[in-house]
Amino acid sequence: MTVTAPPAPGAEEFTEPIGVRRRLVRQRARRSLVRRRLVSRGAVVVCALALAASLAPLVGLVAYTVGRGWHVLSGAFLTHEPTPPGVPGGGIANAIVGSVVLVALGAAMAVPVGVAAALFLLERRGRIAGALRFGADVLTGVPSIAIGIVAYGLLIAPGGLLSLGHYSGLSGSVALAVLMLPIVVRASESAMAAVPSELREAGLALGVRRSRVMRSVVLRSALPGLVTGNLLAVARAVGETAPLLFTAIGSQLFALNPLQPVAAMPLVIYNDGTQPFPAAQQIAWGTALVLLALVLVLSVAARAVAAFLNRRAR
Amino acid sequence: MTTLLEEVPPPLAPVPGVAEALGRRRRRPGGRLYAALRWGGALVFGAVVVALVATLVSGSSQAFGHFGLSLLWSDHYSPAKDQYPTGVFIVGTLITTAVALVLAVVVGVATAAFLSELAPRVVAAPLSVAVDLIAAVPSIVVGLWGLLVLTPAFSHHVEPFLKTIPVLEWFFHGAALGPSMLLAGVVLAVMIVPTVVALSRSAMTAVAVADREAARALGATRWQVVRTAVIPGARTGIEASLTLAMGRAMGETIAVAMVIGNSYTVPHSLLAPGATLGSAIINNFGEAAPGLDRSSVVALVLVLVLITALVNVGGQLLLRARTRSARR
Repeated sequence: MTVTAPPAPGAEEFTEPIGVRRRLVRQRARRSLVRRRLVSRGAVVVCALALAASLAPLVGLVAYTVGRGWHVLSGAFLTHEPTPPGVPGGGIANAIVGSVVLVALGAAMAVPVGVAAALFLLERRGRIAGALRFGADVLTGVPSIAIGIVAYGLLIAPGGLLSLGHYSGLSGSVALAVLMLPIVVRASESAMAAVPSELREAGLALGVRRSRVMRSVVLRSALPGLVTGNLLAVARAVGETAPLLFTAIGSQLFALNPLQPVAAMPLVIYNDGTQPFPAAQQIAWGTALVLLALVLVLSVAARAVAAFLNRRAR
Repeated sequence: MTTLLEEVPPPLAPVPGVAEALGRRRRRPGGRLYAALRWGGALVFGAVVVALVATLVSGSSQAFGHFGLSLLWSDHYSPAKDQYPTGVFIVGTLITTAVALVLAVVVGVATAAFLSELAPRVVAAPLSVAVDLIAAVPSIVVGLWGLLVLTPAFSHHVEPFLKTIPVLEWFFHGAALGPSMLLAGVVLAVMIVPTVVALSRSAMTAVAVADREAARALGATRWQVVRTAVIPGARTGIEASLTLAMGRAMGETIAVAMVIGNSYTVPHSLLAPGATLGSAIINNFGEAAPGLDRSSVVALVLVLVLITALVNVGGQLLLRARTRSARR
């Protein structure tokens, strides 16, 4: 049995004159380049379409909210309390102020704790810091409704650890604070970790106390990042409904006492938007517009403040 | 003549005694206050996490004691016995999340590639900011829009149209009511797309320029650079963005509750109304009587937290693995 070697690939091409072969290769390369360029163009177009597809619903939703809410907005809508059902007019002044109070209280709890915890993470490695970081990961992932339910269990349900026995704005603020906490910790830690360690070492080398170095060097250089991170956390908290649903619960009154139920804009949108009456839905759209504007202002402010502080630092 | 090399100063040696001096400083009152502050922050933070888990576990213990672990996959809804079909809710959560991911992944990653690689910078920079800003739209506003605008549009136009497509109609049989698993998935997709885009884009911009240039030098077209260099380089980052988006979709409650129709039977079609863990919690917790009823709802919360925590911790680990390998 004889084994014949298979002909080398492309061997038959060598039988052609060199010039023909060169022309063939060039032609093939050109054809491949044309094809690849076409594919590339096509892919760019497809990706641009994807951009349109991902932005369109969101832009549409914002535009629609502005269109519907615009007619509702008026001085009276922003400065009056809601009227009883069936009575025309009325506004959401109590919900606007309520949202501000709830979030301000929440931020007052979350920011100091979050920044302190970030300082801890910054200076310590090891098992405790690792556990804390894991805790931050877990807390980031906890759905906001779960935070609301836990706040209910601890602060409202009879028999809870710190129970008041009734719905209160304070419990809503606590829930919002827990929601903000991991965002604050994560943002603060990364802002402070970005401060060059040379700066810190320079301070220490001058014999400055660690606490003072932290305050005057690290916190100050990280200030733009800290402000951005915290404002973004606040912007997130303002729009949250689920943590307030069973805690602050909402109110028709102009109630500022955090030990009583407090109104909030997301709750107004939920309660009025799910009603079949056009008048209630109007109020929901108007409130949605105000809320959207507030969140947008906060998000833009977060970036603007950072840019401003960065420029001044230079 | 001095060469460039001679002008470089020698590296700084650590100053002897600094560590000891620092150790001494820490014992001063200011240092003690500072340590107390840091430890205080860490402790409060840790306490919050522990309290959260402990409250959920103790709150749901009665339900688990009464129904046993079969509570996790039951499909039996009996308000009189305070029993909820957890299995149906889990299936509903998985289906809506899957629909959202299928819609959001392709669109989101392609958008990220466009913004990071393909679009001219004049266009890409403002659009990237726009995506980041739009990610901040509160979910209640998306829910309101889904309820009042998308629901009628789906029942009159989108769902009847889907039923006419030859192969896909299998997924879309049944009446076109409007509120459905499909609508909930679409609303979720709208919500998670900005997350996917923002995180995938930052993963893609982090890919080394040298990788791109290498592909370019080998004759790759712009799209081939993206396909062969950028996307493989950013793969862990993209995967992390998807897991985080998935966690967000699973944990979203209010917008889903507004558009899913809240039916507690096993769904037979994407057009059928259903329920997710989140929507079931919102709809039942307020009316649940203290005792077994409320404990059963808290058990739903615990299941939801466990699922989302699993997904999110996985995403974070992926993200960390990426930054670590990028640093190396």
